Amino acid sequence: MTLLTVCGLDVHVQRLLPRGDGREAPLVVCVHGILTDSLASYYFTLGPALAAAGYEVLMYDLRGHGRSHRPAGGYQLERFVGDLRHLLDRLNVRRPVHLIGNSFGGTVAFGLAAANPELVASLAFIESEPALAPWQPKMAANLARAKRELVREESLAWIATEYNPHTARLAKGAAKLLHSTTIAEDIPASQVLTEEEVAAIQAPVFGIYGDRSDLAAQAPWLEKLLPRCRTVVIPDQEHSVLIERTPLTRALLLEWLGEHALSAPAGPVRPIRPSR
Amino acid sequence: MPELAIPVAVDADEVLAEVTVMIRTLLEHYGLDDVAIGRWCRFHDDLDLESIDLVKLATALRDRYGEPVNLAAFLAGLDLDALIGLTVGHLVDYIVAALRATGTERRR
Repeated sequence: MTLLTVCGLDVHVQRLLPRGDGREAPLVVCVHGILTDSLASYYFTLGPALAAAGYEVLMYDLRGHGRSHRPAGGYQLERFVGDLRHLLDRLNVRRPVHLIGNSFGGTVAFGLAAANPELVASLAFIESEPALAPWQPKMAANLARAKRELVREESLAWIATEYNPHTARLAKGAAKLLHSTTIAEDIPASQVLTEEEVAAIQAPVFGIYGDRSDLAAQAPWLEKLLPRCRTVVIPDQEHSVLIERTPLTRALLLEWLGEHALSAPAGPVRPIRPSR
Repeated sequence: MPELAIPVAVDADEVLAEVTVMIRTLLEHYGLDDVAIGRWCRFHDDLDLESIDLVKLATALRDRYGEPVNLAAFLAGLDLDALIGLTVGHLVDYIVAALRATGTERRR
C-alpha cells in the first residue's frame, strides 16, 4: 500500500500502469465520492479497463476515507481540491491530467479545473455538479439528514432491505465518519464558485447522469454554460451510476477519453514516480 | 513475460494457505486475530472486509504471484452481487487458473 504525505496527511494512492511500449501514456486521475466511497470503487470497475486501453491510472482515497488519514476537521471543498493539487505536485506530474470524478469527486474535479486550468486536460464526471451557491444549503441538508439517520438501527435495516446488507454496512461506516469528524459542518462552509468561474473552464467536460437523480436536471444548463460540454442521461437509473451501471459507464468514458486523451498532442512530459 | 523471482505454488492447498496468511494481515487492521478462514468464507459478509481491503489484497497478490494474478481485472469482470458474494475459494480458484494458464503459455 502506498501512502504519500500530502498537506500533512497520509494519503493512500494506487496506480495502474498500461502495458505498452514505454512511451508516456495519458494520465487519468480518478476522484471518488464522500461518505460511503473509496478508491476501491474505481479499482474494481474502471481502473483495469483504463490501464488496458493504454492509460496510466492514478486513484487515491480522499481525506477521511478508505485508508487515507482521517483528521477530526478540515473537510471544506477547497481542502479536497488542495489535496489533489498537492498530490499531483508530490508525484511530479508535469502534464495536464484527465480527471474523472464520481459524485463529490466530480465537484472536486470542477474545483481544480476552475482554480488550476493548466493542470486539467479534460474533466469527466458521473452524477456530479460544480459547487455554486445553492450547493451549500443542499449539502448541509443532505449531510445533516445522513448524520441523523445513519445511526438509527431502523434506517440501517431499511437500507439493508431496500438495497442490500453491503450498502447498510457502508452506511454504518459513513455514520462513523459523520460523527467522528466535522465533515457535515465543513462541507456546507466551503468556498463555492461563481457561474462565471465555471463558464471560464476551457477543458472539455463530459457528464453522465442517472435520470432518476435530481442532478440530471442540470444537464441542459451545464451544456449551455460550457461550450465544450457533452452529457448523457442513463434511463431508469438513480445516483449510483458507477456501481450499478459499470459496463455502460466504462464504455462511455473509454469512448470519450479516446476522443480527448489518446488523440491529444503530447505536452511536456515527466513520468510520475511515487515513493513507496 | 518476466520470470518470477520465486517459485510459484500452483497447488490449490498451498495457494489457500498463502492467501489465508494475507487475509490474516488484513484482519489485523481491525484487531482481529482469531477469525476462522476457509474456502467457504465470503470476504464481505463472513470476514467483514471492505472493498478497500481487497485493494490491499490485490497488491499483496501481485507482489507474491506477479502480473498474471490481476485481482482488479478479475473483480472488474464480476457483477455487483458476485463481487459481494466473493469467497476465499473463488479467489483461490482464480489464482490457480491464472498461474496454470501462464505456465501453459511458457511451455509453448
